[in-house]
Formats: sequence, structure tokens, C-alpha cells
Amino acid sequence: MPNTAVWTLRETLIVAVLGAVFGVLYLGWVQVWLILQAIFGAVTMDVVMGFWFIVSIIAAAIIRKPGVALVSEVMAAAVQILLGSPAGLLLLLTGLVQGAGAEAVFAATRYRRWSLPVLMAAGVGAAVASFAYTWVRFDYGSLAPGLLVVMFVLRCASGALLGGLLGHVTVKALYRTGVLSGLAIERDQRAAHA
Amino acid sequence: MPEALSCEGVAVRYPFAARDAVGPLTLQVAQGERVLLLGPSGCGKSTLLHSLTGLIPHAIPADRRGALHLFGQAVESRSPADWADRVAILFQDADQTLAGLTVSDEIAFALENRAMPPAEITLRVTRAMSQAGLPESWSERRISTLSGGQKQLVALASVLAQGADLVVADEPTACLAPAAARMLADLLLAPGQTVLIVDHRLGPILDRIDRVIVLGREGQLLADGPPAQVFATHGPTLAAQGIWTPLAVRVRLELATQGINVPPVLQVADLVPHLPPDADLGPMLLAAPLPPGPVVVCLHDAACAPPFGPKVLRDISMHLRGGEVLGILGPNGAGKSTLAACLAGLIPPREGRRDGPPGAIAFQNPEAHFTTDSALAELAASGMTPPQAAEVLGDWGLSHVAQQHPFTLSTGQKRRLALALLTATDRWPVLVLDEPTAGLDHAGTLFIARHIRRLAARGKALAVITHDADFALSVCDKIAVLADGTIRTDGPARQVLCDTALLQAVGLAPPEATPLLDWMERKG
Amino acid sequence: MIGRLHPLPKLALCLIWIGASVLVFDLRFQLLTLALALALLWAVERVPLWKLLALMIPFALFGFGFLTTSVLFNQESGFALQMAHEQGAASPDFSPGLVLFARTLACGMVSALFALTTDPGQLVRSLMTHLRLPAPVGFALMQAMHLVPDLGREMQTMRMARAMQQRRPMRRIPRPGEVMALTIPLLAFAIRRASRAAIAMEAKGLRPHHPRSQMKTTPIRAGDTAVLGFGLAILATLITLLDQT
Ligand SMILES: Nc1ncnc2c1ncn2[C@@H]1O[C@H](COP(=O)(O)OP(=O)(O)OP(=O)(O)O)[C@@H](O)[C@H]1O
Ligand SMILES: Nc1ncnc2c1ncn2[C@@H]1O[C@H](COP(=O)(O)OP(=O)(O)OP(=O)(O)O)[C@@H](O)[C@H]1O
Ligand SMILES: [Mg+2]
Ligand SMILES: [Mg+2]
Repeated sequence: MPNTAVWTLRETLIVAVLGAVFGVLYLGWVQVWLILQAIFGAVTMDVVMGFWFIVSIIAAAIIRKPGVALVSEVMAAAVQILLGSPAGLLLLLTGLVQGAGAEAVFAATRYRRWSLPVLMAAGVGAAVASFAYTWVRFDYGSLAPGLLVVMFVLRCASGALLGGLLGHVTVKALYRTGVLSGLAIERDQRAAHA
Repeated sequence: MPEALSCEGVAVRYPFAARDAVGPLTLQVAQGERVLLLGPSGCGKSTLLHSLTGLIPHAIPADRRGALHLFGQAVESRSPADWADRVAILFQDADQTLAGLTVSDEIAFALENRAMPPAEITLRVTRAMSQAGLPESWSERRISTLSGGQKQLVALASVLAQGADLVVADEPTACLAPAAARMLADLLLAPGQTVLIVDHRLGPILDRIDRVIVLGREGQLLADGPPAQVFATHGPTLAAQGIWTPLAVRVRLELATQGINVPPVLQVADLVPHLPPDADLGPMLLAAPLPPGPVVVCLHDAACAPPFGPKVLRDISMHLRGGEVLGILGPNGAGKSTLAACLAGLIPPREGRRDGPPGAIAFQNPEAHFTTDSALAELAASGMTPPQAAEVLGDWGLSHVAQQHPFTLSTGQKRRLALALLTATDRWPVLVLDEPTAGLDHAGTLFIARHIRRLAARGKALAVITHDADFALSVCDKIAVLADGTIRTDGPARQVLCDTALLQAVGLAPPEATPLLDWMERKG
Repeated sequence: MIGRLHPLPKLALCLIWIGASVLVFDLRFQLLTLALALALLWAVERVPLWKLLALMIPFALFGFGFLTTSVLFNQESGFALQMAHEQGAASPDFSPGLVLFARTLACGMVSALFALTTDPGQLVRSLMTHLRLPAPVGFALMQAMHLVPDLGREMQTMRMARAMQQRRPMRRIPRPGEVMALTIPLLAFAIRRASRAAIAMEAKGLRPHHPRSQMKTTPIRAGDTAVLGFGLAILATLITLLDQT
């Protein structure tokens, strides 16, 4: 069994590269969000939010080591800034908060369980963390409690589905392409089948 | 003095594989010895090279048995990264040798890791770049904007800069034009160097090696000794295993089937005086003529560019006829692959016009074709029924890897699978094959050569890009030579390939078989 | 010109300036910042005007989004208004949304100024030399940065392969469905490339916690520090002047 805490060079590179790719995708998603928001109004943000948690879930489910969820999300934020994301430096903080939310859930399982419910829970974890963060940032306290509940539920659902479920589907599809051979996910799957 | 490399009973098995990929093997390489490792495609040459510094099992998951020593020290006693100060590796896939940075970063990378003083690094980088013939203006260029052969040259420069005690090179000349291949052989195989080199194409390296080690199909040792001796005594065995042998050896075997005996020599020129007038070499060396059909594809004054790149080709006017095979030759970076995409109709020309139906192209990098999770599934995805797919796999010698993931195949196996995908169906009237023989053993090359002629006989229009003039001679009816961004010359294959002065002026070389062609000419 | 400055002091200045722009809730400051960044890009770096305008489009788009969200969420005691009060500098006539919009553009152009005048490779290398960024992490970053443009090229090749498989001519602009279908293969390509690069780097001797030299180190010269100081002085002056009026 290889050392479970230290990242290998390959794992470091994969986290960086996933962060970069999803940085690009996230930036695209911003445009989707803006268009949808123009049509459906403000709560759209909560509905689409889950996708911005996905890299932490995918990277963690592949590599299964502490820190992966957090770092990959921050990396994605950093790449968005470099590519000129309009949100600017604050994005780094956003990434940190969202990544930490997902990381907390994985840490609670002691990095041992990676089933779909756990991944969805990680999506919800990121959603909760980001909700707390936006609460402070946009002063949600002044909003009607009913609206707040709706927003919170929507965001958690989005985290579970667009983050957790979609992440799970993506990881399975990636597994089939054979690129994950030799990584923790493959060792666990083979062990489960053996 | 300890041996540079010693293997005792080394065998490697990939996870969940039914049998060993290579070995058990016992062999030694002494310091100052230049050794060529030969073997059919898929016999485990690359696998063996990957285990030499411990990349297998450290970075590539697989099981290695047996004892491996480098310079008298057990390989496991240091990490693969630690061995980088003494051993330089040139992987088969240039993309794998390179860390994907800019050219100068790439060449400096290994030296920086050894904490060499910056001034020394700059000196070595500059020297290596000029040795490998890389223009200075490339130093800030991103490697991914280079052509396949240019990448291989950068990989070579980076190995040269390392100045390692042992150089391990896996098919370093596969994508290089003849002049570049020769230069590479000169640099890599200078006398006194300790080198273990794997190559299918023997031409440029044969006279620069001290010893040949031959592996058989199952990855076991077949022969070991000086080249002349190995090819003289084991010639027929090697040929039967589908391994490349020098042209002179192949001619001797061919003549033997005609009942003619000639002495075992290594150079064709030495063979000519012994050829009896009734020897018939035509079928072996030349393409059987076919009646040309109607024009299928036509380019008018086209200017072509790689995706997101600048225009690299101008004023291209050419046509492809059904039943005719056009060979496209040219130095590295001349724009052959760019032209291929344009000819097949995948990238429209930036200027000018292309007329004709959409065609298909076998990419220079075979991995670009793979989309599914097994070799069999690839064929099924291109519309074949399971029995058809099984038959095609059998034809290409891929039956035993049918269930394997395409990306875990050996390079030659990948190439064969990609060619099989493209050429097995009648879907496309136009086919462009980009370096179909790179990485193939002799059996594979013979098979694709026959297959190309069969497709032409069925009326398809074909273009074949290759650096192998002998291969071009044996499959092409016409040849176009690309250089300096345009078509330098075109005409009937034999005529163009006999124009030695022109070929050499653009960094190409006449076929090895030239002395035999001259002999046939004289004979009339 | 700006390209020759050392990336780290430049980064520090840009970060501080962006930080100031986030904290100083004043439309005039945002507009001045925007004007300064544009002027530097146009006059010193000779970026053509049309390019500058094109660069501003995504920021403007996002700015509008920012504007609507912030207006919607801050009708009474919104974050923006609150900040405006706390800073005590903003003229209350300006809508906070407008300030946020200008801020987005200003921060965006400062980031663009940095991005357009900095070689990412040099930035990572300086981080490794001066801030002790571990080499494996540094090269992972470099690899990731090189990957982004290559994804486009790889996607083009994949589209060709698909067009061939489906026997249709290549489309100039991919359909949304086609792009979706390419997501997984592109991700797989990225991971495969990372794995290969890891092997290449290992074979060339990259080790964590091991001394390493650099072929090209750019020292931080007196000029760089002077520019940093000069920039900070301008920033301080601007803020004090705006504060007084
Ligand atoms: N990662 C892997 N997993 C499973 N099998 C593998 C893997 N890599 C290679 N193989 C198999 O091991 C065998 C040896 O492969 P290897 O790449 O060493 O061949 P090779 O002699 O270098 O061939 P070539 O001349 O075509 O490059 C092949 O049959 C190949 O399919
Ligand atoms: N994105 C790009 N930007 C700039 N130049 C490029 C780009 N892509 C390719 N080139 C250049 O275009 C030229 C043609 O490339 P191409 O791949 O067609 O060469 P080739 O003849 O196939 O070479 P090889 O024999 O090495 O495969 C090369 O000189 C290459 O450096
Ligand atoms: Mg090989
Ligand atoms: Mg090419």
C-alpha cells in the first residue's frame, strides 16, 4: 500500500491539470449562468452553483488523499483569475471556501468512503460552506426568511446533483477511458472486485 | 570495471495480464558498448527499457522479477529520479520524453534537477540545440506547436545535454527524415558511448552498433552477438518472426526462394556483383502498376495551415486519382501532416479550393483515433460485426490484445489498430495515411504495403506520407516532395526517387535499394 | 517595457491595487484605476484599441451580472451600501451597482495588464526561486498552464476523428452537442498527459526536497523595487486626495 497522505508527482500534476481544465469550464459556466439569470432572475445562481464544486469532487474521488478537494478547487479559481475572470482575486477566497466545504465531508469519512452518497454529501458540504460565505458577502440577513430557505434548499440540491451526482458520472466515464490506472480509485475498485 | 547494465532473469508482468510482457531475460551491456535491441512489435522492448531505471514499478504499475543492476548497483537502491544523473532515457513516444514546456526549458530541465550552475546549463543547452540542428529562435517555442519529427529532435537535444553515462533510446528515428535520422545516429551512437537502442529501421544505425540482441515474439532471448554474425546465422529466423533485417539479408532470402544462392553480406552494394541475370527483384522492390482511374480529389492553389497555426504551405495544386497511390515525402516540419488534413478534406484550405468527397486520414499519432475501451470495441464502433472485427484483428496480428485497452497497447500495436480501423471498411473513397510504417516491424510493414496496393486496386485514391524511400518505392505510383512550404517536385515514383541530388538537397535520401535498381536498369 | 519588470514586485503591486479597489468604495477611484490600466496598456505596451475593447467585453458582461445581483440583493441595507457608508468616501448619488460595475472593469483591466505583460513560465520560476514554491508544484502549475491552449488543438484533432467516423465533413463551428460529447475525452487527454509528464519529469530527475538550480533566474533589481515603491506612492496619493474631496 503506497503512502496514503503524500501526493506523488503524478497526483500533483493531475490535480493541477484538472484544476486548469475545470477553470476553463467554470468560466464557460459563468456565461451560462449569466444568460440563465437574465431569463429566470436572481435565484438562478443557487440553481447553477453546484457545478462550481465539481472539480473538488472529481479530483478527490480519483486520488482519494487529504487536501485534494481543497487544492483542486483553489487551483481552478486561480486559473480563472489568470484567464481573466471578472470576479478577480476574491475568487480565490470563494474557491477556498467551497473546496473546504467538500474537503470537510471527505475528512469526516477519514478519506475511506467514496460512494455516490458520500460524493453527494460533499456537494452539499460545499453548498453549505458557500451559502455561509455568500450570506456574509451579500448580506443575506436582510432577505425574507422564506426566500432564504428556498435558496438554501436549491443550493444544496444543486451541490448534490450538479456537484456530487454529475461528478460521480464523470468519474465513472473517466474510469472507463483507462486513464485512471494505477491511481487510488483503480486500486480500490479492483480490490472490491477481487 | 562493472557492467553498465546487467539483467538476470528479468521478467515483467502488467497488472491482471495472463502472461509476462517480456522475459525472463539475462543480458549484459558493458561500458562503451553500443547495443541494438531488436524484436517484433509487442515483444516487450519498451517494457524492458521502462524497468531499467525502476520506472516500472515505481511510476508505471507492473510487476518486475529478477535482478537488475546499473553500474554494479541494484536498481532498487535508488529512485528512478536519482538514476537520472547517470542514465538518460529517450522514450518511444516523444510526447512521453518531454515534460511539455518550451524548448529551452525542456532541455535545461534535467540539468536543473542536478543543481548544475546556471552558466553551465546555458552552455550545454546552446550546444545541444546547435548539435541537434534546432534553430536558436525556437528556444521560447512551445513544444506542442512542433511537428512530430521536430519533437523527436527536441527530445534528442535534451538527452544530449544530459551527457549521461548510459543512454537508453526507444526508436529514436521512427519519425525522422533520413538526413535527420543520420545526424541523430551520429550524435547518439558516437564511438565510446554506452547506448542501448531499440529500433525497427536499421538503415541509419546499422554501421554504428557493436552488438545486436534479438528478442523473440514471446519476449525471450533469440540471438546475441555482432551484427554481421547475427544476421548471417539467424537471418531466416528473424525474418520468420517478422523482425526487420538489413535489405541485403532480405534480398538473399528472397533469392533463396528463387533457388539462387548469394553470400551473406550486410550492404546491398556488396551484393550486386553476385546477382545472376535471371534474378527477379521487381516484385520485392517495386509496386505492380495499376490502371489509373478518374480524378477523385483536387487541390487548386491551396494554402494550408495546421489548426490555430500559421500558413505553412502555399500554392499547392495536385490531384489524386482512384487506383493511384501518391507518396508524399519531405523533411521534418515541411508540412506533410498539414497537407494530409487538407487533402482528406478535414481542414479546409485557407486559400484556394479543394474539390472532392470527404476522405479519411490515419493520423501520425495513432492515439488520436481511439475512443473506446478495447481494441475490439474500436472496430465495433467503426461499424463492424463481431466476426468481421475478429477477422480484421487476426489479419493485423492483434487477436491476443483484442480485449486490451487501446492506450495500453505497444506503439506498433497502436499503429496497426489505427490502420485497421481506417482501412478495413469501404467507407471512404479517399485515404491519407500519415507515416503508416513508423513503429512497425517488418511483418507489419509488409502487410500494410500489400494492403495499400489492394485498396488501390479497388479504386480508392490513396496518399501515403513516409520517410522510408524503400517503402515509398514499393507502394507508390507517384511521388511529391514537399520542401520550403511548397511542392518541390513531383512525378513517377521511380523517377523522383532516383534523383539523388534533389533528394539530398532537401534532407532526404535515395532508397537503400538504389544499387539494385541500377542493376535492374543495366540489365534492362 | 512593463514586460521587463520582475514578475513578483509587479504581482505584488497589482494585488495591492486590486485590494485597494475592492476596499475603496468610490466610483472615481475605480474609473481612475481603469483609465490608468488602459493607458498603460495602450501607450506603453502598444496594445491596439480594438483589442482593449474586446478584452473588456467579458468583464463588462460579468459586471452587468454583478450589477443586477447586487442591486437585487441589496435593496435596503445591502452590502454595497453598507460598505459605502463605512468608507464614508462615496458620493451617495452613485448607485452602488454602478460602482461595482466599474470595479469589475477596473480589477479586470489590472489583471489583464499583469497577464499580458508576464510570461507565466517566468512567474512560476520566480515563485520557485524567491518564495520557495516546491519544484514539483511549480512544474505542475507550468504544465497546467501549457495545457490550456493545447486543449484547443487536441479538441480539433478529436473533432476530425469524429467527423471521419461519422462520415461527414468537418464543421467549422462545433455544435453544443458535439462539444458536450468531447468533454470526457478531453478530460481523459488532460489526465493522460499529466501522467506522461510525471513519468518524463521523474525520468529526468525531478525530486521533491532536493536542491535544484535554475537556468534563467531573474534577480529583483533596484529598478523593480523602485517601480513598486513608485506605484504604491501613486496609489496612496490617489486615495488621500479622493478622501479629502
Ligand atoms: N500498461 C499495460 N498494460 C497491459 N499490457 C501492456 C501495457 N503496456 C504494454 N502492454 C503489453 O505488453 C506487450 C509488450 O509491450 P511493449 O510496449 O513493451 O512492446 P514493444 O516491444 O515495445 O513493441 P513495439 O515495437 O510495438 O513498440 C504488448 O503486448 C502490450 O500490449
Ligand atoms: N500551432 C502552430 N504554430 C506554429 N507553427 C506550427 C504550429 N503547428 C505546426 N507548426 C509548424 O508547421 C510546420 C508543419 O508541420 P507538420 O506537422 O505539417 O510537419 P510534417 O511535415 O508533418 O513534419 P514531420 O515529418 O515531423 O511529421 C512545422 O514546421 C511546425 O513547426
Ligand atoms: Mg515499444
Ligand atoms: Mg507529420
